[in-house]
Amino acid sequence: MLLFAPIDVLNDLLLRTGLSSDTIKFFVWPLIQIGLVVTLVALWVAYATYLERKISAFMQARLGPMRVGPWGLLQPIADGLKLLTKEDFIPDKADRWIFFFAPYIAVASAFIVFSVIPFGPDWAVIADVNIGLLLVLAVSSIGVLALILAGWSSNSKYALLGGLRSSAQMVSYEVAMGLSLIGALMFARTLSLSGIVAAQGADSIWYIVYQPAGFLLFLISGIAENNRAPFDLPEAESELVAGFHTEYSGMRWSLFFMAEYAAMVVVAAVATTVYLGGWYFPFVNRLQLSGHHNLYVLVSLLVFLVKASIILYVYFWLRWTLPRFRYDQLMDIGWKWLIPSALINIVLSGFAIFVVQALNGWRGIETIERLDRGLNLSATGKGIMIAIGLIGLFITAALLSRINWRSRDFNLKVQRRNIRLVNVPKGKPAVQAGS
Amino acid sequence: MSLVKTPKSTFAQKLKRFFMIDLIKGMGLTLKFNLGALTDKDAVAGKGIYTEQYPKVRPDVAPRFHGAPRLNMDPETHDTLCIACNLCAIACPEDCIDVIPMDVEIVVAGKPRRKKVLDEFIFDTSRCMFCALCQEACPTSCLELTQDFELATYSRAGFVWNREMLEQGRETVKYTS
Amino acid sequence: MHQVEIATTQETLLDSPEMVLNMGPQHPSTHGVLRVVLKLDGETVIDLDCDIGYLHRGMEKIAENRMYTQIAPYWDRLDYIAAVSNGLVWVETVEQMMGLVVPPRAHYLRTILTELNRIASHLLWLATHALDIGAVTVLLWALREREEILKIFERQFGARLTCHAWRVGGMPNDAYDDFHKDVRQFVNNFPKRLDEYETVLSENRIWLSRTVGIGVISAEDAIAIGLSGPALRGSGVPWDVRKSRPYAAYADMDFDIPLGENGDTYDRYLVRLEEMRQSRRIIDQALENLPDGPVNAKLPKVVKPPVGDYYHTIEAPKGEIGCYLVSDGTAQPWRVRVRPPSFINLQALRQMCIGHLVADVVAIIGTLDIVLGEIDR
Repeated sequence: MLLFAPIDVLNDLLLRTGLSSDTIKFFVWPLIQIGLVVTLVALWVAYATYLERKISAFMQARLGPMRVGPWGLLQPIADGLKLLTKEDFIPDKADRWIFFFAPYIAVASAFIVFSVIPFGPDWAVIADVNIGLLLVLAVSSIGVLALILAGWSSNSKYALLGGLRSSAQMVSYEVAMGLSLIGALMFARTLSLSGIVAAQGADSIWYIVYQPAGFLLFLISGIAENNRAPFDLPEAESELVAGFHTEYSGMRWSLFFMAEYAAMVVVAAVATTVYLGGWYFPFVNRLQLSGHHNLYVLVSLLVFLVKASIILYVYFWLRWTLPRFRYDQLMDIGWKWLIPSALINIVLSGFAIFVVQALNGWRGIETIERLDRGLNLSATGKGIMIAIGLIGLFITAALLSRINWRSRDFNLKVQRRNIRLVNVPKGKPAVQAGS
Repeated sequence: MSLVKTPKSTFAQKLKRFFMIDLIKGMGLTLKFNLGALTDKDAVAGKGIYTEQYPKVRPDVAPRFHGAPRLNMDPETHDTLCIACNLCAIACPEDCIDVIPMDVEIVVAGKPRRKKVLDEFIFDTSRCMFCALCQEACPTSCLELTQDFELATYSRAGFVWNREMLEQGRETVKYTS
Repeated sequence: MHQVEIATTQETLLDSPEMVLNMGPQHPSTHGVLRVVLKLDGETVIDLDCDIGYLHRGMEKIAENRMYTQIAPYWDRLDYIAAVSNGLVWVETVEQMMGLVVPPRAHYLRTILTELNRIASHLLWLATHALDIGAVTVLLWALREREEILKIFERQFGARLTCHAWRVGGMPNDAYDDFHKDVRQFVNNFPKRLDEYETVLSENRIWLSRTVGIGVISAEDAIAIGLSGPALRGSGVPWDVRKSRPYAAYADMDFDIPLGENGDTYDRYLVRLEEMRQSRRIIDQALENLPDGPVNAKLPKVVKPPVGDYYHTIEAPKGEIGCYLVSDGTAQPWRVRVRPPSFINLQALRQMCIGHLVADVVAIIGTLDIVLGEIDR
């Protein structure tokens, strides 16, 4: 197709420059991919801020940005220009070098993760390492370091407290995030993100159907990990002004802002990959079979973007609807509900696999060992999995109720109290009417 | 957190709590607003967009609005209606009006008389609280508060209006885009 | 300037177990220029002191040098959100002291517009309270309803916020032409909007866990401190000046007063929501039964109450606002003293906050519904 001619033309050009084809394959092309992905993610992050403003505005019966460009579409560019031209302000007694580096660490950790995320089948993933998911979790933990450094180096009581609270929250929820993914990993039997997508393709099912509880737990811990509402007390304005980024202004602050949104996109992308089938969509495969390989990759990329955007919409939706939790309630949820639920989810997934194998006979195990990816279940097998997935959801909700019942904070046995309406007898008026 | 009395919940309420119906209902309403903002045109009773895009769209200002002051003139003779009675200055709680009269010679029934007319009228809009007591005090409906609310100026001196500004109005830039 | 009793010490942050935190006059949630000094043990509040006076404008002193009709626009600026109620307490005090008889049509219109102002004030309370706790969408929705009320005020009085609504003896103008239509439209649309706010907040488990059991004050303590308004009724005390000493046209109106049970933040929230519904009911009745006639009483040339003193209270949205007027027979009062409800309600802040976390202090300041214009005058 003419649209993809540039790829072949470029390949020929590179070959003609005399570099070995290995260099081109392992060095030049990845550089081009990295450039494209960084641009794509930066644009996505910038327009995620625009979309957040527009969506929040529509939910609140107002218009949002309208002046800069048609329908306000150039608003992120205007914001970026404004932040670039602000004064570079470092507080007097702040630790200069750490203050300087903290935003960069945050942005770097958020962007490095995108090297393993499969945006599409072949050339749409930069590096398909076979420990992809582990890399994602590990590198996004580095973001916590940036927070602590920022809070500490600002030399301000509010910033330090905010930074400590944010980082404690993030560390608590990382445990839950990792544990909640294990259920789906048991089905995919690989840590490589492209492999997980391929496993879902091989089973032709999205893992959210088998693991609704896992998806819910992952999403909640992801939202808490990103310090987004309803878990955003550390950076709520009514609290300690702005948390760890109180003293930052201009471009440094915008780097933190970008890091936050990029982390949101990371969680959305991982949730899409592991639970919503990634770039896999039932009928798109036919494009590959009919030979339009590049078009297949592009359409898969689009499918991925649409799915991740839906999860981003859920982020915005939750932020603008729900009030925020108090800090101790937040930590209660993380430690007392999410982690036990995730552990129960793992046990239940193992139990599910065992049940499915048992019911299909011993042939099931042999099938699994011979298969490359996924579980390859029959229709009854799938039915059993779905049933056990729903049971898992039920158990998670029951655990939440039970924990709430025992907690002094959520010990609210009824959702609404009715107040009394009384009609007391009227007293003497202050002045007699007509007198 | 002191424990407060809560009545025992019924089974239906427990079930609603188990399935997180409270959160889902709230989120459903926000979703309805989101879709309504795109489709519903009724902003007052429905879910439409309520924004008025000022300055492209000028707001409807009520006829009784307490806005910028104006000295009205007789429509035929183009003389001022002010009789320099000083009632507005007396009525003003903030002392922002200064009425400076002068005496002119007129002839009434063949006899020369002195009549007090208005010479200069100083109104300090920076002190004014737009309470409209001056408007109510004026016996000839000369001093009136109009619907103009865009009173910003670039200097403090620009807040003090003289007779000409009060009669002719001020030249302001009306941004429409 | 008042010396705060909790000193800001110079000890290093990590050494001492207690920390003094200053929620300064510039803070997004202190509802005005209020300075709250907190002594914290970790995140628990163990002591609290308020520092007020940042908005003191000397209104009572100004009033000693103005004529009675000139004081009315200043009174709007006390509780600037409920300007119509403040104006009402002033003109009613002067009228009752002079023995003027206000025509019934003016009483009914005063009732309608004061109840509209009550709804507007409670909507702003709901908006800021929900904003502080995190539900930002309710802020925008409540302000949209308030916008409708402010449009009615603009068409009737000429100003949206500080209205200078009433004159001694009645009103300056009769109801404008579309008054019935506008108020009727508002009354018809309002219950659905209140249901929308309730859907998002009243049963929401996050809202409940942020407001139930927070800031509890018992009925005895509330009466001892002198609370009034929804803060008092949230604790179960059935005191409402509109019922106990009816003024304007409230003697003819049929309405209930909502009472809470536990005196916590959630009860006060429900009480205020229900008050909005009852206000709507009052407006409905008053609109139906609006009598004809003049809207002004005949006034002497100069408004001069006889020598003596007089105290009159009405039920403002924030509580019981009172005006104590001492007249010496001249055209300017000798002394005017305002009983500001927010000032007295704020005294309960210390008792309500001790033992709670810092995040709850914000919620409790919101639930007391204070306006610094009233506290500092």
